[in-house]
Parts: sequence; structure tokens; C-alpha cells
Amino acid sequence: MSATSWVLAEYRSEEELYAAARRLRMAGHASVDLHSPYPLTRSDEVLGLSRSRVPLLALLGGLAGVATALSMQWWTNAVDYPINVGNRTLVPYPAMVPITFELGVLLSAFAIFFGALGLFGFPRTHHPVFEVEGFRTASIDALWLSVEVKPEEAERVAEDLRRSGAAQVAVAPEAG
Amino acid sequence: MTPPATAAARTDALEQAPLIVGTPTDRVLNDELLDHVWNPKRGWKILFGIALAGTGLLLTGVTVTLARGIGMWGNNIPVAWAYDIINFVWWIGIGHAGTLISAILLLFQQKWRTSINRFAEAMTLFAVMQAGLFPLIHLGRPWFAFWLFPSPATLGLWPNFKSPLIWDVFAVSTYLTVSFLFWYLGLIPDLAALRDASRSKAQRIAYGIFALGWRGSARHYQHYRIGYLILAALSTPLVLSVHSIVSFDFAVSQLPGWHTTIFPPYFVAGAVFSGFAMVMTLMIPARKFLGFERVVTERHLENMAKVMLVTGLMVSYGYLMEHFIAWYSGNAYEAFVFSNRANGPYRAIYFAMLFCNVVVPQAFWWRKARTNIAWLFIASLLVNVGMWTERFIIIVTSLHRDYLPSSWGMYAPTWVDWSIFTGTLCFFSLLFLLFLRFVPAVAVTEVKELRHELAHAHAGGKEAAH
Amino acid sequence: MKTLPILGQSRQPEGACSERPLWRSLEELERGASRAGGEFPPGAAEPPAELSRRNFVQLLGASAALAGLAACQPPRDKIIPQVRSPRGGLPGQAYHYATALALDGYATGLVVTSHEGRPTKVEGNPAHPASLGASGAFEQAALLDLYDPLRLEGFRRRGQALAWRTLLAEISKLAAAHDADGGARLRFLLAPDASPLQADLRRRVQARFPAVRFHFFAPLAEDSAREGSRIAFGRVLDARPRLDQAAAILSLDADFLAGPGESLRLTRDFARRREPGASMNRLYVAEPSLTITGGAADHRFRMKGSEVLGFARAVAGLVGAVPASPGDPAPTRQAKAVADDLLRNRGRSLVLAGPRQPAAVHALAHAMNAALGNAGATVVYTAPVLPEAPAGPAVLEALARDVEAGQVDTLVVTAWNPVYAAPAGLDLGAALSKVPNAIYLAAREDETSRRASWVLAASHPFECWGDGRSRDGTVALQQPLTAPLRESTSAVDLLAAFVDQGDKGAYQHLKTFWKGRAGADLDLLWDRWLQQGVVPGTAEPAVQAPVRADAVLAAVRAAPAPAPGLEAAFAPDSRVLDGRFAGNAWLQELADPVTKITWDNAACLSPATAKRLGLENGRRVSLALRGRTVEAAVWIVPGHADDSVTLPLGYGRAVEGPIGRGVGFDAYRLRHAAAPWFDAGLALAPATGTHAFATTQGHFTMEGRPLALDFTAAEWKRSAHELEEQRGTSDTIQEPVDYSKQDYKWGMAIDLSRCTGCSACVVACQEENNIPVVGKEQVAKGRIMQWIRVDRYFAGKPEEPEVISQPVACVHCEAAPCEYVCPVNATVHSDEGLNEMVYNRCVGTRYCSNNCPYKVRRFNFFEYRGRLAPTEKMLMNPDVTVRSRGVMEKCTYCVQRIERARIDARVAGGKIESVQSACQQACPAEAIVFGNLNDPKSRVSRLHGDARRYDLLHELGTRPRTAYLARIKNPNPDLA
Repeated sequence: MSATSWVLAEYRSEEELYAAARRLRMAGHASVDLHSPYPLTRSDEVLGLSRSRVPLLALLGGLAGVATALSMQWWTNAVDYPINVGNRTLVPYPAMVPITFELGVLLSAFAIFFGALGLFGFPRTHHPVFEVEGFRTASIDALWLSVEVKPEEAERVAEDLRRSGAAQVAVAPEAG
Repeated sequence: MTPPATAAARTDALEQAPLIVGTPTDRVLNDELLDHVWNPKRGWKILFGIALAGTGLLLTGVTVTLARGIGMWGNNIPVAWAYDIINFVWWIGIGHAGTLISAILLLFQQKWRTSINRFAEAMTLFAVMQAGLFPLIHLGRPWFAFWLFPSPATLGLWPNFKSPLIWDVFAVSTYLTVSFLFWYLGLIPDLAALRDASRSKAQRIAYGIFALGWRGSARHYQHYRIGYLILAALSTPLVLSVHSIVSFDFAVSQLPGWHTTIFPPYFVAGAVFSGFAMVMTLMIPARKFLGFERVVTERHLENMAKVMLVTGLMVSYGYLMEHFIAWYSGNAYEAFVFSNRANGPYRAIYFAMLFCNVVVPQAFWWRKARTNIAWLFIASLLVNVGMWTERFIIIVTSLHRDYLPSSWGMYAPTWVDWSIFTGTLCFFSLLFLLFLRFVPAVAVTEVKELRHELAHAHAGGKEAAH
Repeated sequence: MKTLPILGQSRQPEGACSERPLWRSLEELERGASRAGGEFPPGAAEPPAELSRRNFVQLLGASAALAGLAACQPPRDKIIPQVRSPRGGLPGQAYHYATALALDGYATGLVVTSHEGRPTKVEGNPAHPASLGASGAFEQAALLDLYDPLRLEGFRRRGQALAWRTLLAEISKLAAAHDADGGARLRFLLAPDASPLQADLRRRVQARFPAVRFHFFAPLAEDSAREGSRIAFGRVLDARPRLDQAAAILSLDADFLAGPGESLRLTRDFARRREPGASMNRLYVAEPSLTITGGAADHRFRMKGSEVLGFARAVAGLVGAVPASPGDPAPTRQAKAVADDLLRNRGRSLVLAGPRQPAAVHALAHAMNAALGNAGATVVYTAPVLPEAPAGPAVLEALARDVEAGQVDTLVVTAWNPVYAAPAGLDLGAALSKVPNAIYLAAREDETSRRASWVLAASHPFECWGDGRSRDGTVALQQPLTAPLRESTSAVDLLAAFVDQGDKGAYQHLKTFWKGRAGADLDLLWDRWLQQGVVPGTAEPAVQAPVRADAVLAAVRAAPAPAPGLEAAFAPDSRVLDGRFAGNAWLQELADPVTKITWDNAACLSPATAKRLGLENGRRVSLALRGRTVEAAVWIVPGHADDSVTLPLGYGRAVEGPIGRGVGFDAYRLRHAAAPWFDAGLALAPATGTHAFATTQGHFTMEGRPLALDFTAAEWKRSAHELEEQRGTSDTIQEPVDYSKQDYKWGMAIDLSRCTGCSACVVACQEENNIPVVGKEQVAKGRIMQWIRVDRYFAGKPEEPEVISQPVACVHCEAAPCEYVCPVNATVHSDEGLNEMVYNRCVGTRYCSNNCPYKVRRFNFFEYRGRLAPTEKMLMNPDVTVRSRGVMEKCTYCVQRIERARIDARVAGGKIESVQSACQQACPAEAIVFGNLNDPKSRVSRLHGDARRYDLLHELGTRPRTAYLARIKNPNPDLA
């Protein structure tokens, strides 16, 4: 594949950030992204992101857990090794509730956590944007915008952003 | 306990005591809240040394137990469970505040949770770790502990899923895992902040690894926020289920004093009660030494005091009901157990329990008491003691005199019992000190978010205040 | 082939206790047997070609193993399996041999189970009149002594070891030296013994040494009883009660339900008449200390031991046994009521006098029985089977005087530990060390062996041949179950040595002796005698003997009046008897039936006296009597007589193994020869400190709970229906499992009317099920391991308490609370309804114990089976798992016996006819019944249908398989 560059721009306020983001998307850059030390309230609509799939993962995980728990308790105690324990029935549904619930929660939680990491593509500790030292303020107190462009376009886009009032702009190349 | 909590918080929102003192910039917040990582506070090393020594005590106790057998403890027949399960229930109970604060208060949009949730979650994690130790070492043959999980064995036998102990195994391990995931998920952005603010390459690499490559991307935040929210939604019933299931260990048995339907709610209330007490016990000194007064304000402490008052009242109601039913049921065995608690050989502990858990929290009806740091600290300590004695009363006094007077007995702990108990306290502190040393003790990201929301609120007018 | 030089087998006598070829089966025995070698791994038994250092070490190991194993050989001389034993011998197959064990001279017939030549279980011999199939704690525990690693080994003279042959040579040299003066300076101090063989040997010794003197000594000798019959009949006769005939019984301090001798039979006869109905008997007991007989009584009159005479006299006067004399005090209400009852039951009443009571009381008892026409009906008189010579402490004083006077050159002691049991003030040890040749035959090192110049290791009764008689005279043959585990000899061989026949061997002596009795057809009878364990037709005939009322009256008049003040009452101990069992861990850990104290004896006194003296349980006191003081700890016993302190004998041993040394206090140091049982003028002063007793039960009231139910006969008529709600099915949402289709549905019934609390079942269970002993500290911590316990409750006033005993083991609930809480399915139900414990699955959460309302589960808090001596390993029952640390255990209904019976039944192609649990088998009162509830004919199912049947804690709906039968008491309406 061809190499790409990352153009990074810091903005002083959320409004400027959103404006710049919208402009770039109209200019046909799909890969616009915003970076901030805390979640931005309007970033989703600005970037036009579709609904997250995490809730679906959570549901599937939960169902898997419930199914596992029920079948496990039923098969081990009633099918594989049925035995008279204190004259109790072999399949005591009320007694199966706790484990069923717990396993449901457990697998659902796994689905969420690892699902999210998967969607993030994590762990990925070496990302080109980190090459720009200034960008590190993104996790501390600064608002940044990043866009992925072809190397030849990088300078032009950077110039646009500078003109749009970015506090600072930087380009981080990535070897393809 | 959620409705009262919200009620408390509502009246709270109208009051003027601030959630964040002054108007610090993100940078200032970042520096202040992460400072304790970069510049270890004086005395940390000493505390750490003490905790380490205490952990040695735990190691000794456990080693002796494994080498010689449960006989090294005071347990006997009829009192086959004692410190082992008392400590287990006590620690697990303490481990409830964390998830409660971070999950339930989050769902109820209680902004005041923000600056204490990380702290509380860490405490939860470490407390549950202590708790988890006991079911393991209290076994007669701990090396077969894995038989409590469904594992194919030569005997062809499976665990007995009718036994509350098995439910325990699943509940506690699930709770530990989910609490950890929840805690870590919330930690990622702050780890990134640490990475980016780190002063040396080593630190940058270390935190870089743990931050997993977080770069505050809005695309990530989208999944992150919903994921965190659902996790909170899952943790809410989970936290309620765990102590309910622990209470089943007792409620499902037929022992007078254990066999009670009120146990699940009463245990959960007690758990939250002790959990908040422990958060308070840790938070009050910590905010002083780590200089968190700006974000952990009197208002936070006051709210926690209110929650303690409410849960304390629930616990008191539990006591009342137990005794009432014992009398009302007309069951001689039941009635005896409860009169034995007040008149029997363990009555001193019983009255200590009543004082700590019923009398002490009543002080929180008064604002003065809720805002007096010294008193809060003492009260929280007393409640911790009280909840431990409660477990002692429930377990030991019910066991030592049950149906057949011929087999009544007494229980007295041995030095091993004591060293294991104090050992877990120290191990807990050890983990906590490590946490304070290397991990942001306050959820920096959320505080920043909160600051902005509050700023907007001031600009946007009162209705957004909450 | 050469044998390993261990155990000194080669030096052993060619007799009963000699090295024998091993045989694995009767056939093999016939064929002539193989050698031990085959039994062991190659190399273990073969002698090394040349003794390199390496295989020298191997040898050491081998000999250690063989120390145990080489001894697991049945005797060479043909011994005959008991009838129940299966034909053909297979390894793993248990054999049952009839034998006998003598305690205080009286033999009790036993059947001992043996695995691969290792005796592992003692049971009663149903054919024997003194056992009737039952066995007491002592008989059971005797087996532990057999395997005691501390047993003496070999023979020593002045500390230097003698080989068997040398010993015999030395003894005959010694004997020869006495020929000159006809043995005037030769003395024997023997335990009173009813063995015909030993009597014969004594005669032969006497024949050789006309001037020899035999002294008899037993700490618990019943001299006063003999004296009493001399007074009443002018001759010594044994009074043998026939409780099966007696409707009204008065016991004058006679604890006839306990102790060695005939208690097993008497318990059986007594218990059989405790079921409600016309035939129900009534028992009055007048006694100072609370005994199990007192506990079983319908009326109990507590009085100082010295006051019993007065009571007896009052009753005697009222029944017209002796003319009332002017000086007599007016008879009490009790005395009147008792007398009326006895008179109402002429010929069906019985008066018993206890061995502790003075001769006058015995004489009065004889007179009363005569007056009431009981003689020959409820009591028969027979010639005594023991030597008539007195055997009390006074004997030792006389002997000591002779020794001091230098009249004794050789003293042969087979009596148990006279130095320890000597009366206060007599330093027999010093005397003994003055005797040039003091030969002491002892099983273990003790106070006496320290002072004797010759110490010979004694064989255990299960190791050598012999015979003995029970009280009624019936002869039982004593078969050895195994070759001696240690080089040792027996009293028979020792006596024989003095007529130069020590090398002949007990077997030969026995055979020859009985040939003399039975004549030529002995060979026909011998095998049957051995099989049945009894020699038929040897019981003493009853004799008619008129009572000399005047002599009795004179004796009564002559008797001293009871002295005021505190009285010391010495008593045989329920566990260690006279001290001989002080080294027996089973008995030390057995709770006293009354006080529930283990590993101790206590100075027992009444609540009132304790109050008066300001004492509480465990308080240390110093007891002063006749200028001698002993420090002891007190225990308050409800129902104890006031101003009387019971001092159990047999503790405070100075020279004993770790088990018995320094346990309790030594009451012998206060016991005076003139007043061996009751002694006035005891001074009790509180000493500093308290003593920690280890009891198995700390709480003695039932808290008004319906646990051990008892009714009086009158109440029972009215309120039998009250038990309805204590049994039957209870509502449950769990459909009860249906066991009616099964072949077997095991269950148990325990009859509280019959149970006396004697605790024989506890030891029997311990023996059968390899239950470990845990020691005093663990008992005090509440970690005793015994699977069956005997709960003992007091009711009513502490002065005059109702006493009731209730044996409790796992009741095998059909809806067992222990099972559903076990996380790993380690305790589950069998299809025949047994609540099974799966040791190898147990992880030890102890949840089951918490949820057991009967608290019958026991947990291995430590590795209680830590280090076992090789001999102790031989004790283990191979059919029962030895549990490891961290595992829960409990009563299994003797599942191994069920399975054994199942196998036998399958082999025979039938169904299991009957299985007996170990506790049931031991129980002399037939209070415990185990069996198949699906068999309507079985005794247990009949009892489950009994009107007195109730379930313990029935309201919990656990549906226990063990049912209890309420106790019915039969009090005298006149005393209501």
C-alpha cells in the first residue's frame, strides 16, 4: 500500500476544532479525527460517526454466558453424574439463578472490554502521531485534530489548517 | 440503597459547597492530580515498610496453616467457621463501595462521585483480593481448591451446583474480574496522560505500555463512553448480587441465626455501609497527604456520611427484624440464638456491634458531624470495627450454641488467626500504597470533563447544574 | 532356611508363645505351612549372602517391618475358628476366634476378629454367660494394649537381659535353692484368678514346696462381700443375681451395671425388663456417688457411703429380715416405701449390696433376700470361683511385714502393680527392693518394675493359651490370636517354671490338665470347646444356705455408726479401672459416663457441699486424710451425696508411658488398708490455682427442648400420643425419594429405656472404624473424633437430678442438610439411603458440619494419624479407610460391614439376613438396633413402628434413619 502522512493541528477552543473538522470532511477527508484529554460532547455528530457496536457485543457476551451456565449446571448435575444429594431435585432452577447471572455478567464484561480494545486496534503503543512531541498535550490539556492524507497532499492540508487558525500544525509521516 | 443515595445527592446539588474548589485549568489539574506519582510524598517509604512487614505476618500465618493444618486456628466442632469466614465476608463487604460509587452513582448522574471513584474502585479491587484469599486457605485440603470449579476429575464427579459455596466461587471471581476491567477501562486515558506528562524515558515506556496506545481519539471515545456506561449498568446488579450470594452461605443453611430471608438485602446494606466507611478511612488521610483538597471536598465526605447514615439505618433495621422475627416466629431455637447473643458469653462483642453500627452513624443526622473531618475519620473507623464484629456475631454465636446443647462449644482465636487477619490488613495497605505511588488516584480525565461541564453549566445557566 | 535374628524368636519356649510357621489358610495349615518369607517382598526376608554395609542397612529396615509383620502369625498349635467364620481362608477374609479375657479374675468370653493374623476387633461371645455377645469398654480396649509400642520386651535380672532358656535355668536354680526348707522363704503375690489351670499349677507348686505361701492382691478385691457371706451363711458364697426374675430391685451402693465381672450379663437382664408393661422392673439405688446404675434407677437415694448401712438396716427391719431393736431410729418414708414394694414382690424382689459396702451390709442383703423368699429365685448362691483368701490392701501390709522380718528370699509377683496400688503409708517399693529375688511379671514398665530385681515381660492374653471362669463358674478357653509381638511369657509358664516345666508351654499344660478332667474323649470335645469358647456344664451349681439371722444382727450391731464430717469415698474408675488401663489411649479419651471428663479424674462432690466450701469446677484443692495430703481438682456432680467426696482410683501414675503419666491425681495415696472404700475425717482445703478439665460435653440441660424424651409409666399411659408430632412425615416441597423398591433400607433404633450410658459403643466404634485419639488439648478445643457420643442430660433439681443418656451418631437423614451444601459432592446419598462420606473427594470446607443439626460430623484438623508405630499399624481395620488431614468424617452405619455381608450373601446366593453395626454389637443393653427397614420382620423395623419411637429434631424435616425410643421410668407411686 502507499505511504500516508498524518497532519496534526492544535486548536484553542472546541468551536474552532469542530469548524476545522467539518471543513476537512467537506473537502473529502474521511479520516478526520479529534483528540482531547476528555470526551468532547459533540464530536460524534461533527465526525458523523455511526452508532457504536459495543452494546451488541455486550448483549452477545451476556447471552453466551447465560447459555453456558445453564447448560453446564444441567448437564453436569442432571445428565453426566446424576446423584441423590440431600433428597434435592436434580435440576433446581432457583438454585441455578446465581451462577447463571454471574456468568452472564462475566462474559458480557469480557465482550465489552476486549471488544472495545479490538475496535480501537489496541494495544498499539507505536502510532505515528506520537512522533510529534507537541501532540502529547492532547492527553493533558490541548485539543487536537488529526487527518490521514497522502504524503504529497500533506503540505497543502497543513497549510489550510494553519490558515484556519490552528495554534500549531505538524506532519507525521508513516512509512507504508 | 440507590434511591436514598440520589435523594441525598439531590438536596446536595442545591447546596453551594463546590465539587471543585476554584477554577483550575486542565494543566493545573493535571499537575496537581498526578503530582503524587512524580514526587513520592514523605513517609510513603515508612508506611510501605510497615505494610511490607505486616504482609510477612500474613505469609507466616498462611504457611503455618498450610504446613500443619486448620488445627492451627481456633476453629472446632461446632464452630467450624470462624475468622476465616468472618474476614472473608468483612473484606468482600468493604469491596462493595467501589463499584457502587463508580457504577450506581454514575448511572444516577451523581457528579460528586467523579473525584473519588478511582480511589474507591482500587480499594474494592484490593479488598476483594483479600477476601478471595480466605475461601482458599480455609479449606482442609487447599491443594484441591480447583475441585470447586467444574473440572473433569478421575472420580467423574462434578461440583454440586446446589451449594451456596459454589455460587460464592462464581460470584466472587466474577466480581473481582469485572471490577478490574471496569477499573482499568477507566484508567486508560489517565495512564495516557501520565505517559505524556512523564519526565523520563523509562516512565514514558512503562506508562506507554499500560496506556495501550490511547490517544484521546473521538472515534475511540465514542465506543469508550458507551462501553463504560454498559459496564457500569452491569456492575450495578452485580454488586448487589455478590453480597446477596455471600449471604446465601448462611441463609440457605438451616442453622438458627443463619436461616433468615432478610439476609440478602441486610448483607448488601451492611456491605455498602462498611465500604463507604473504608473509603472514608482511606480518603481522609489520603486527600491531606496527596493534596487533593481541591477536588475531594467536604461535600464529597458529607455525601459519603449521608450514605453511611442511610445504610446504617438499614442495617439497624436488619437487626431489629431479626430479633422481632425470632420472637414472632415462636421458634424456640431461633429465639434462643438471639437471646444468647445479648446474654451469652459473647455479649460484649454484641453490644460493641450495636454501638458501632447503630449508635455511631446517628450522629450523621447533624451537619456538624458530617462536616467534621476528625469525627468522620473516627466514626468510619468505628463502623469498620462494628461491621467486623457483626460478622463475628452472625457466624460464631449462631454456631457455638445450636440445636443440641450437648454439643455446644466455645471459640477462641489463636495467634495464627490474628496474624492472618492483621496480615490481610497490611497486605491491603501495601497494595493501596503501591496504587497511590504509581497510578493516578483521582480520575483526572473525568475531573477535567466535570470541570468543563460545570463551566458550561455556569455559562449555560442553572438548569444544567445537574 | 535361616531366619533373621529379630524378636529373639529362636530363644523362645517351645510352647504357646513360640515361633510358628506362617499359614495363610486352613488347607495350607494341614499341608504344612510355608515360611514367613513368601509373605514379604523378595529380599525382605531372605538372609543376606554376605553382610555388606548396604544390605545391613536394608536389614535394619526389614527388621523394622518384620518387627510387626513376622508376628502376624496365628499360633502353631491348631486353633479353631469360631462357627461364624467362613470355610476356607482367603487373604482379606476376616476370621473370628473365640477366646477369653479375665479382668479382676473373672473371665469374659470374647470373639476376636483377625485379619491376616492381626487381631483387629474384639466382640462378645454370644455363647458365653458373662458376655451374651456383648462386650464392655475394657474388653474392647484391651486390644489396644496388645499393640502398645511401650510394652516390655524380654527378661531382665538386675538390669541384665536373660534369654528365655537362661531364664528357665535360672528359675529352676532358684527353685532348687528353696527345696531345702520346703519353700518357706518363697512367696507368690498373684492376681486373684479363677483359672483352673493356674489353680492346678499352684497345687503342684505347693506340692513341691509345702511351706510356700500364695498371697493374692487386687486393688478392687471384694473382701467385704466374702466376709458378709461368712457372717450370713458361715461360709463363703457368691451371690449371683438373676435380674431377669426381679421385679423390684434395691441396690445398696451396688453399681452392678458397670465394671468387670458380670455387668454385661446383668445389664442385658436389667434392660430386658425396662420396656413399659406388666413385666417392667423397678430399681431403687442408695449410693453416695452418682453411677450409671444410679442414673438408670427409678428412685435414687443419695447418702454417704457409711449411711447405707443404716438405710439397709431400716429396710431389713421393715421386711422382717432382722428383728428391729429398741435403739433404732424411726424408718424414713423412703425406707417404708421400698420395704413395702419389696414385700409386695415377695420372691420377685432383690436386694444387692455393693462391693464397697462393709460386710454387715452384705450380710443384711442376704438376710433380706432370705426373708423375702428371693433366695433361689432372684438370687442364687454358688461356691466362689476365686480363691477365698483375702486380696485387699491389708494383704500387702502383712507381706511387707514378713519382708521386713527377712522371711522372704524369693517373691514372685504377677499381681498388677502392687507398689502403686499399695495402701497409703506402706512403702512396698522399699520392701520389694529388700527381697533378694523379686520376680515381677509385667506388661509395661511401672512403679513396681522399677523396684523388682527380676522383670519379665508378660504376654498379652491374646498372645497365649489359658483358661478362665466367669462368676457363674463357666469355663472359657483362652486361645491366642497371634504369636507374641514381643518376647514375653505368661503367668502359666512362670508358675510352671517353679516345677521345672517352664519349657513345656501353656498349650501343653492346658491340654494335659483338661485331659485329666475330660478323660480320653477330650480330643472329641476340644475343638468344640475352642469353637464355642466355653466348656459346657462347668457352671457352679446353686447351693441352699440358711441365713443365720442372729449373726447378721450381731454384725450389724457391731458395725460403727457413721462419723460426721466430710467422707472420702474411693471408687474404681470407669475408664482406667484400678489404674491398669492408664496407658490405654482409647480409655483415657473415653468420656466418663457421668462427668464426661476425659484424660483426668476429679474429686467429685455435690453442689451443696461445693457451695458450702466455696468451690467451683476445676478448683484445685488439697485433700488431707489421716495425716496424708494429695492435691486434686474438684468437679461438681449433681446428685452426689453431701459431705462426701468421691476419689476415683487409678490416676496420677508416676511411671507410665506418655499417655498415662501425670494424668489426674493418685487417690491410692490416701487409701488406708483399714478403710479401703469409705473413710471419715477427710479435710478439704482450697489450694492455689485451677485445673483445666477436658470434657466432651459442657452443657447438661436440655434447655426445655424435646431431645432425650422420658416419661414415667403413669405419664406414658396418659400422653403416649404426644409423640405423634415427633415422628412421621413432614411437609416438604422436595418429593421424598422412594426407597421401598430397594432390597435394603438401612436404619437404626436407639432405645433410651435400655441405654445406661456405659459407653461401650464408643470404644467399639473407635476400634472398628480406625478412629484416631486426639489427646487432651484437642478434646478441650472441641475436636474429639469419636463418631458416636453419649449425650448425658440432667433434669430437675441439681440435688436430685433426673439423669438420661442419649447415644448420638450420624442419624443418616434422608433429606440430609449436610449434603446439599457440600460444594464438591463429597457427601451424598446411596440408593439404600446411607448418608455417605467420600473422603477422597472432600476438600474440607466444613460447611456440612455447620449445617448438621446433630453436630455428629468430625473434622481432621490435623494429621491425627501422624506417626504410627509398626505395631499400631497392625491394629487398623483393613476394611476402613484411614482418614488424612483436612477431611471430614462421621458415622457410616458401619458400611464396611454391610458390604462384607453383601459379598457373603452374594456368594451364598441369598439376601443379607442381618448386619450388626459395631456399636450395636457391643451394647450389653441391646439399646442399639441396626437393620433393614424394608424387611418388616427385622427388629429395627418393629422398633421404628413402636409407640415410643420419635425422631430427634423431627420438626426440621430431615427424616433421620436413626429413630429414638423414649425412655419410660417406673417410679413408685408411694414416693411420688
